[in-house]
Amino acid sequence: MSLAGPRKPRPAVHVWLLGLCAALLALMLWQDAALRLLPWGNWPGFPLDPARMGLDQIRLGFGLMPRGVIALVAGAALGLSGAILQAVLRNPVADPTTLGISAGAQLALVLATVLAPSLLEIGRWPVAMTGAMLAAGLVLAIGARRGFAPVTMVIVGMLVGMTASAIATAVTLAQGEYLLSLVIWNGGALVQQDWSGVRALSLVLICGAALASLLARPLTVLSLGAEGARALGMNVALIRLAAVAVAVVLAAAVSAELGLIGFVGLAAPALARTLGLRGVGALLIASPLIGALILSLCDGVVLAVAGASGEMFPTGALTGLIGGPLLIWLLPRLRGSTPPGTEAAEGPPPRRARPGRLLAGLAVALMLALLVLVWIGRVPGGWAVLDRHSVAQFLPMRLPRLIAAASAGAALALAGAILQRLTANPLASPEVLGVSGGAALGYAAVVFAVAAPGALLLGAGSMAGGTLALALVAAFTGRRDMPPERVLLAGIAVSALASAVLAAIMAAGDARSWQILGWLSGSSSAVGMAGAGALAVTAALLLAMSLVLRRWLAVLPLGDGVAGSLGVPLRPARLGLIALSGLATGAATVLVGPLSFVGLMAPHLARRAGLARPADQIVGAALIGALLMLAADFGARMAGFPYELPLGLFASLIGAPRLLVLMMRRVR
Amino acid sequence: MSDPLFEIDALCVDVPGRRLLHGVTLRLLPGRVTGLIGHNGSGKSTLLRSLARQIPSRGEVRFEGRHLSQWPARDLARRMAFLPQSPPPAEGMSVRELAALGRYPWHGALGRFGPRDHRAVADAIAECGLEALSDRLVDTLSGGERQRAWLAMMVAQQAGTLLLDEPISALDIAHAVEVLSLVRRMCHAQGRSAVVVLHDVNMAARFCDEIVALRQGRLIMQGGPADLMRPGMLQQIYGLEMQVIARDDAPPVAVPA
Repeated sequence: MSLAGPRKPRPAVHVWLLGLCAALLALMLWQDAALRLLPWGNWPGFPLDPARMGLDQIRLGFGLMPRGVIALVAGAALGLSGAILQAVLRNPVADPTTLGISAGAQLALVLATVLAPSLLEIGRWPVAMTGAMLAAGLVLAIGARRGFAPVTMVIVGMLVGMTASAIATAVTLAQGEYLLSLVIWNGGALVQQDWSGVRALSLVLICGAALASLLARPLTVLSLGAEGARALGMNVALIRLAAVAVAVVLAAAVSAELGLIGFVGLAAPALARTLGLRGVGALLIASPLIGALILSLCDGVVLAVAGASGEMFPTGALTGLIGGPLLIWLLPRLRGSTPPGTEAAEGPPPRRARPGRLLAGLAVALMLALLVLVWIGRVPGGWAVLDRHSVAQFLPMRLPRLIAAASAGAALALAGAILQRLTANPLASPEVLGVSGGAALGYAAVVFAVAAPGALLLGAGSMAGGTLALALVAAFTGRRDMPPERVLLAGIAVSALASAVLAAIMAAGDARSWQILGWLSGSSSAVGMAGAGALAVTAALLLAMSLVLRRWLAVLPLGDGVAGSLGVPLRPARLGLIALSGLATGAATVLVGPLSFVGLMAPHLARRAGLARPADQIVGAALIGALLMLAADFGARMAGFPYELPLGLFASLIGAPRLLVLMMRRVR
Repeated sequence: MSDPLFEIDALCVDVPGRRLLHGVTLRLLPGRVTGLIGHNGSGKSTLLRSLARQIPSRGEVRFEGRHLSQWPARDLARRMAFLPQSPPPAEGMSVRELAALGRYPWHGALGRFGPRDHRAVADAIAECGLEALSDRLVDTLSGGERQRAWLAMMVAQQAGTLLLDEPISALDIAHAVEVLSLVRRMCHAQGRSAVVVLHDVNMAARFCDEIVALRQGRLIMQGGPADLMRPGMLQQIYGLEMQVIARDDAPPVAVPA
């Protein structure tokens, strides 16, 4: 830091002291675990030679020691990766997790394990690397079309990431216990058996650091923006490509070696900025250090917990646990990080002169779909239109799930439409804003707190969880006019927290965790007529209420300034609408799991179809959501016949690509 | 003269670490176009937004004789309309629908959109000269037309007082003149009052009946255009030497010396 502005808080002393304390704490935690294993006097001397070492000495020298080192190395690699990504994309929310890179690596590994185990004999690295590269390539290709607008990038990254993990979950489920080790791997365990991981990661880190130091100056120029950098004679595309490649390799290496360790790459640069560091160079130096400290501390905590309770859970789960709240805490402190006007606008979607006809058409289509789906089915060897007798036999099984699927789709779509209007953010949705994650947590809490809970209790649990998550997000963003990226960041934080807790639950490997995992990917097969009816009534009530409140939904997208000066009671309106969408999401999530994209997709589709007025858009979104979910249900039943794929999973497999296509659309 | 529109007494606005307004005391009269001017960061927008009750402030503000904090939200919205700086995109809304939003304070969230509301919207569109554009999407209008559509929303609100935050900052000179002329006409012909934040001294002098100048959060001048258009006063406001060029049959203009 060469420039010392007059208003800058004196960072030096505080920062170093803080860093020192964190380092000491991490060391103490590690040492505590080590001494529990082996007293000081018996520690093996260097060089380590397994032939002359006792069992505990080997466990220390080839287990705990490399583990302590790899926490530092991997943390540093992730911190550096995040810092590079944030600098090159000029996006304070970028990191390997939010850009889908880690999930891409994970999916590649899961697929390789299942489909082509021989690939893994070459090593996990090439596989993980390929997956990460593909995911990053996809995200960047879409981002490039939108001028790398930060919010778009993160949304795309999350879509890619969520789709990848949806597929991975489906495969995991299909294979049963076989892949349990991968579930744990997803959580990112730091357990080591020798020094090879340390050696390999260190090599990558050193190369990455060298390249990063070469990139520091071009990245500083790039921080002026692409136009400015180009005007200064820089090859923007080349620098971007090089920087992203370095970041992806760093992240993929960690993924291959340790699994999914989320949010270190996001937290480290954010923390560095909060500590008063400015400038690309300073961030590139500080972020790896901070990242190393974060991961080291987390692993120390995991070791301490393991020592105290014997319960071993993956460190990656803990970084998510810490990452979520950390982000929420950082939220008000991140300011001015996104230059205004970087979000390229899309051309105005069309507007239909007579929306009534389209709505009627959609309603008819929904009815027809329901009828057709009741009547046709797949039998071994082909398709069949059921005769009257079979219909009577199948109806009690089939009708509830069709009704339930359609109602869940409509409820999610309503929640999405409300949230998009409330935040004036076309990309807001229950899935993105962490509502689904919160609902999942609520569900999990009920599963673990109550022995053999009923459907009603589970529903109440996930509704409460969803509303709570949304309230949390709203509380931390409402004060500041809810700028889109802040809302998203808060949503990501809540989602991260939820998935971290869920990962920890999974890793515990309890029978109840399989219930949750199964539910996470969503299924409508278990629902009865009572449940389906309740869901349908809920959806209808929600629709009626959002229609009643349509004037708020018309005024609120115009922002607090206008809405307030028109006399809209902002706080009650916000809270009411938030509660409404939380309820809708919770109700639907009980059935389809949190992974679907219907809530994001249906309002978009309605708007793209030319339904502009709030009432039209709401009704249209609900109908489209119901149709989408019916389609997903059909697909889930038929694609893997005679086995059934999870419903929510199928919905996200339809939805995510559709949204990606939407985002690919050129800016007009 | 009639009762004051705004009575502002020792108004202070603080943000963490900084005071934006230092005890501004001021009376604004109804039926006039009042221009708020000052350098960047002088607090002119802050003052306007505290008058519109958009941001919390300390001190006392009376609007039409009643303490500002005592107005219920919708009652206030029936008497006072506010246009924020750079109005948000009115996604997918037609001009008529935007204007109809101005009826919210009257019909509320659930009330019927009755004949009176329809008439108010039609009158507002006519007053702002938007009849030909009323079915166009606001997004597709030019800058000046869009600003007029927002003004139509404020007119449909049937509020006697309009608060405008830099309504012409993004407009070229022709559209700027068009919008300010409309504001002036709306005040003088219909007995409304307007408080307008402006950047351009010459525009302020030409279109406002009264000028309030702020410097670093403090009031330094209140008076007519003639009081403003003096080199000494302009130097005091902007910290820049300015020259005032008198013209024969037109108001004087100020240019940097």
